[in-house]
Amino acid sequence: MSQTYRIFQIARTDFSYFFRTKWLMAILISLNLSDMLVTGLVYSGMISFDYFSFFVPGIVTMGLFTAATDTGRRIWLALREGVVQYYLTLPVRTSGLVLAYIVSGGLGGVVYSLSLLAVASLVLPPKGILNILLLLPILFVLATGIAGLAAFLASLARQGEVYWAYAQALQVTMVTISTIFYPRETITQFLPGIVASIAEANPLSLAARALRESAFGSSPLSTSLMVELLATSLPFAILGAIAYWVILRTIRVRGKP
Amino acid sequence: MNRVVTLAVFNIRVLLGERMWFVLSWALFGLQLAIYGSLMSKLVVVEDYFFFYSIGLIVIIVFESSADLGRHFVEHAREGELPYFLSLPISRRGLFAANALYGATNTVIRVLPPLAITLAILGRFSIQGIVFTMIALFLLGLGISGIMISMSFIAFKSVDIYIALVAGLSALLIRFSTAFYPIGRIPPIYQPASYATPLTYGADLSRWVLGYDPQLLLNPTVALVIVIAVAVGTISLSMTIMGRIIEGVKAA
Repeated sequence: MSQTYRIFQIARTDFSYFFRTKWLMAILISLNLSDMLVTGLVYSGMISFDYFSFFVPGIVTMGLFTAATDTGRRIWLALREGVVQYYLTLPVRTSGLVLAYIVSGGLGGVVYSLSLLAVASLVLPPKGILNILLLLPILFVLATGIAGLAAFLASLARQGEVYWAYAQALQVTMVTISTIFYPRETITQFLPGIVASIAEANPLSLAARALRESAFGSSPLSTSLMVELLATSLPFAILGAIAYWVILRTIRVRGKP
Repeated sequence: MNRVVTLAVFNIRVLLGERMWFVLSWALFGLQLAIYGSLMSKLVVVEDYFFFYSIGLIVIIVFESSADLGRHFVEHAREGELPYFLSLPISRRGLFAANALYGATNTVIRVLPPLAITLAILGRFSIQGIVFTMIALFLLGLGISGIMISMSFIAFKSVDIYIALVAGLSALLIRFSTAFYPIGRIPPIYQPASYATPLTYGADLSRWVLGYDPQLLLNPTVALVIVIAVAVGTISLSMTIMGRIIEGVKAA
């Protein structure tokens, strides 16, 4: 059996574990669908522009984010409960293990957000189906970046309940300081320049913008936007992969993190 | 009585040891209010929406800390501590009272500082307002805790189903409530669901106490009656469950 096939098998197992965790699916689906179909509709009656069309792509992006961050929880559980020791006995390289986790996190994020996109298309028909297909690889890179960030936090907080504090802080910070809920013009107008710049560079803002303009809107895909999205997502994926690799390597050498 | 206090003090000491969670909760509240709250208040065409939203966010903290009590109870059962507590020379009502004291302390610590600071910043601070709002929120918290503890018997069958149900129910209770939008702005199709969530009454009652425009709120007398009724009803139900169903419960 080749290394690639083993990595594929580990990624597949981790990926299926994500979708088989019923309580997690219940949390994600109930939160995202109620946000989309209740909060979005109510707010659209209270805001002067078509807020629903603006909000739905944001919720799809948020779904991708929450699904991809679950990689961190799985890594944290494996580290805390010693399952990682078992992984290290498998005939696969440490870098292979890291790759399997990051890829499975990315796939989880993309597949989950696609299912949200399918639900969203019932209430807000997309105008650029082809653009969605073209966006998929970029969204996958974004999801691996987020999975990498979650892996980094899980590696930092390998003991106790600290991981949940990190995960909550990451989610609130990244989602709040983004253009998921409000247009960038509003942020620029009312908040300090530094916050507006962070919100604009946030990969979640870029993904939401790409979905708004090219999937639900009729604009062609912007190459510069795609490059920006790649450039902001890749460092997270690399950082997370290195952090998780260092932890695994330490466990392999010393027997404990 | 002495035993109830001893048990409650023990639980509260454990709670006070988790300072990080309180600080994190306050910091995230501040971030959400400063960024999300301030930006949405520029977009939403509702009178003094920032104040409306900030009280809604406080109500969500009350909801989460009350839901924590249910989780705390389930964790005790799962980790095998519940059979130990049941073996103590303390009545079931006493055990419940000790848990309720723990829940009330958790709610007060989480809510009081952000509420006081927010009201001070908005120029609406008054001791009277804080006291009556805390009473309204405490009653709401009791109702939510009662719902969560009443549902906890499901966890004795399957923790996964319990977590999934609580998560789904929480999302619906929050989204359909008036925590973030006035009842008059909720589409008619969703309004029956809004009237069915206790958060609607707790949020509107708290806003009324703090002097928000009553025309955008539910009748305060109705809200007060329903908040009290939910608290009494669900607490009675959860005491019955605690007294009958959990006897002989097995640790996972």
